[in-house]
Amino acid sequence: MPEIILDGLRKSFGGCPAADGLSLKVNDGEYLCILGPTGSGKTTCLRMICGLTKPDSGRVLFDGTDVTDVPVSERKATMLSQAYSLFPPKTVYENVMFSPQIKEWDEETSKQLVKSMIKMVHMENKANSYPRELSGGQQQRTALARALASDSDILLLDEPLRALDARLRLELRQELRSLVKDMGLTAIHVTHDQDEALEMADRIAVIRKGRIVQIGTPMEVFQNPRTPFVANFVGRSNIFIGKISSVCEAFTEVMLGNGSLIRARRTDIPAGTDVAVAIKIGSTRIPIVEKPTEERPEPEQPQGFFRGRVERILYEGATVTIEVDVKDVGLVSSKLPNRRYDDYKAGDEVTVTWIPDKANVFEISPDGIDEELRLD
Amino acid sequence: MSVFKWINKVSNNERSRKAWFSFVCLVFVVLIVVPSIFVILKMLTEWGVVSEVFRDSVMMSTITGALRNSFSIAGIVTVIDVAVGVPMAWMMVRKQFRGKKYLDTLMDMPLAFPTAVLGISVVMFWGAPEGISIPGLGIVVSPYVMLVLLHIIFTYPYMVRSLSAILEQIEPNYETAAMTLSASRFTAVRTITLPLFRAGLVTGTILCFARSLSETGGTFIALQMMGVGSVFFTGPTFIAYMKAEYGVDAAMGSMILISVLMIILALILLVVVKLLIMRFKIPMKRVWPDFGRFVSRGAMPKLKDTVSVIFLAVIVLIPTFYIFTYLTQPMAEIDFGSLLYSTGISFLIAGVAVVFNIVFGIPIALYIARKRHTTSGKILDSLVNVPLIIPTTALGFSLALFWGSIYAGDSIGLLMVILGHIAFTFPLVVRNITGAVEEVDVSYEEVAITLGAKPFQAFSKVLMPIIKSSIIAGAILAFTRSLGETGATVAISDSVKTVPVYIMELIKADNYPEAAFCSIILIAICFMFMFALRMIINRGDRRA
Repeated sequence: MPEIILDGLRKSFGGCPAADGLSLKVNDGEYLCILGPTGSGKTTCLRMICGLTKPDSGRVLFDGTDVTDVPVSERKATMLSQAYSLFPPKTVYENVMFSPQIKEWDEETSKQLVKSMIKMVHMENKANSYPRELSGGQQQRTALARALASDSDILLLDEPLRALDARLRLELRQELRSLVKDMGLTAIHVTHDQDEALEMADRIAVIRKGRIVQIGTPMEVFQNPRTPFVANFVGRSNIFIGKISSVCEAFTEVMLGNGSLIRARRTDIPAGTDVAVAIKIGSTRIPIVEKPTEERPEPEQPQGFFRGRVERILYEGATVTIEVDVKDVGLVSSKLPNRRYDDYKAGDEVTVTWIPDKANVFEISPDGIDEELRLD
Repeated sequence: MSVFKWINKVSNNERSRKAWFSFVCLVFVVLIVVPSIFVILKMLTEWGVVSEVFRDSVMMSTITGALRNSFSIAGIVTVIDVAVGVPMAWMMVRKQFRGKKYLDTLMDMPLAFPTAVLGISVVMFWGAPEGISIPGLGIVVSPYVMLVLLHIIFTYPYMVRSLSAILEQIEPNYETAAMTLSASRFTAVRTITLPLFRAGLVTGTILCFARSLSETGGTFIALQMMGVGSVFFTGPTFIAYMKAEYGVDAAMGSMILISVLMIILALILLVVVKLLIMRFKIPMKRVWPDFGRFVSRGAMPKLKDTVSVIFLAVIVLIPTFYIFTYLTQPMAEIDFGSLLYSTGISFLIAGVAVVFNIVFGIPIALYIARKRHTTSGKILDSLVNVPLIIPTTALGFSLALFWGSIYAGDSIGLLMVILGHIAFTFPLVVRNITGAVEEVDVSYEEVAITLGAKPFQAFSKVLMPIIKSSIIAGAILAFTRSLGETGATVAISDSVKTVPVYIMELIKADNYPEAAFCSIILIAICFMFMFALRMIINRGDRRA
């Protein structure tokens, strides 16, 4: 199935760019997630691939062939939209039959194909139901079967799990992925949900303001973000602003505004540069500072970069997030397993630390760090 | 089959899609818009004749009198329609009661009756005109009041329908929320729902006003039966009278003048009404809790509903059906040959006009619905409404002048009448379809195309089945409107005798019984036709 290349696509709506030199290569048979905040140009990107939106400039190539001017109906790139768009006057069977019918395939073959597709998505019992009689999950599966029966080899999924209940959404992730994989399709899945992208994708492309900021496997994108935005969008990060004071083989030392010295991964950025340091909240540790007691007037204190006081404790089920107020720095969050819930209470003094290798150093862009981190 | 294949293939090419749409726009402008307002241009070229009319003070006072009658009747009728239409629409949408379905059907009946027939029926009911053996109420009213009573009947359904359409889209949740915040129902409706209601009010007002302003056949017949046909005029009956009495050439000046005045006044009024309703501030800040509670509780809501139903029955329905009392009389001698011939002509005109309007109206409706926010979408939307606002008699006269200036001679009379009927029914079809398409998410078609459907297939296999009922509704509306039209037909051609024109001539010859029986037969044919059409469509449904 085809390899897709987007080459410098540009598209603006009323002067507002939705694709700003968008370039991307999707491998044959790959399940790629395009991850980005609302309004980042995700949907426009999908629409340009299938041809529903015509780019102002740039090219779309399938297997090396320029398809920019090929009509939508000939591209064999099927869209699975957010609301599924099952045709209301048609039953499940007729919906799946849509493509075979308009393409006038042999009737017997079509019937077999449609039946096998419906079976594949476990909708045999509902084949004669109308879309309005189906649950969200059933609608989604029907839409998938309809797309699979269309002889397309590219599947474009526009937030396909969005309209589902939270629980079902989690369950369908793997089911959807394995169905697509079984059919050997090249799939591009657009989402704003980082967990969904991390769990489902072969590779993730992080998009922002109509550009791909980073593309890589889920692990790469999570662990080695290329920009502070990616660091914060794919798994929340604590971001610290400071100046590099020294660089050595093992780590980098950064001086923060309040005079604290923190350590991060080794970098090529020269000393003296203004930088942002990002550390995932799950990698941030906050050992408690022991209060002196009668028996131990000088307790052994944990090592850390700076100290703060516990402001809030949020119980999240499997995890707890503890927010620590640090003077002159602001709130620092730490995500811990839920068994640590009882260890902390508001007002406790803690010290903040992490393994230097897990913290990334970024040069600050000219727009400033707040602009860089904005989600819209 | 191969034709569809060809269309499918061609529709895949963006350039051919654009070419087709450009062609549709061209047809729309050349066949509908330009001929409709051509008379304005004609006034400039024929200024000499027109200025003579200005000097003729008797003629001028007749013209201004006719215009005053037309516009004031339309105004009064519209105000009454709003007053009685709001509670009625409310009842039809928000309340459940026995017999609602029948009431719903009954309400549309006046639309299925040619207005010429309504004219006879209404005068028979209220007055006791000479030459008719059926006793009416015998109330002596002025021609003016009679016309108001008549015009209410055929504008009432438009108002109730427009208001119901909007009301159906307004969720009752807002009102419920206001009421849980302890507003009385009256206050909730007045401050929450009514402001959301304006769009429907604008549509309803424009439709009623334009319809009343346009109406010729029923008005002409009512005035004729009251014996004031040559002294009391409205704009359209003046044009019809002048043409019949003096001929186009002799009366050219006055006909041009009154047509242009009607067109311009109607267009100005349209804009003013639109602005007024949109700007008009419903007193929102103040509430009158006691008054609100008084009208929301106890017997008041019931009283309101009862009055609405009584109004519908006494003012609208009974006068409409009164003509059927003729069935108690001995059958008049009927010239079946002429009647059937006229019926054939009427159906031919209406049929061709509707088919044309569906083929050329759908692309325009799609464009307006999908690109409403663009400038070109807005322009097209306004242009489509032009033939709706222009009184049909003026439109017909204008159209006849336009084609007459290109091709002299009356041999193309039928063709010209068809073109005229196309023009004034075009907006009815387009508006219906536009409304339906706007309700349908564009993603259905988009997904269909990505599934491999050609653009025309996406339309015919996906969108069309969803909006089919609206297309049919628009077609039936246009068809009945065309069947009932008198003014435009008379203004365009002397030789084309549609049924309403035929009935009008019978009335002119004081041949009331035959006119009445012809009307009854015509209504019967109309209903059978509608019924058959519905059956055919439903059967097609099952097969698919």
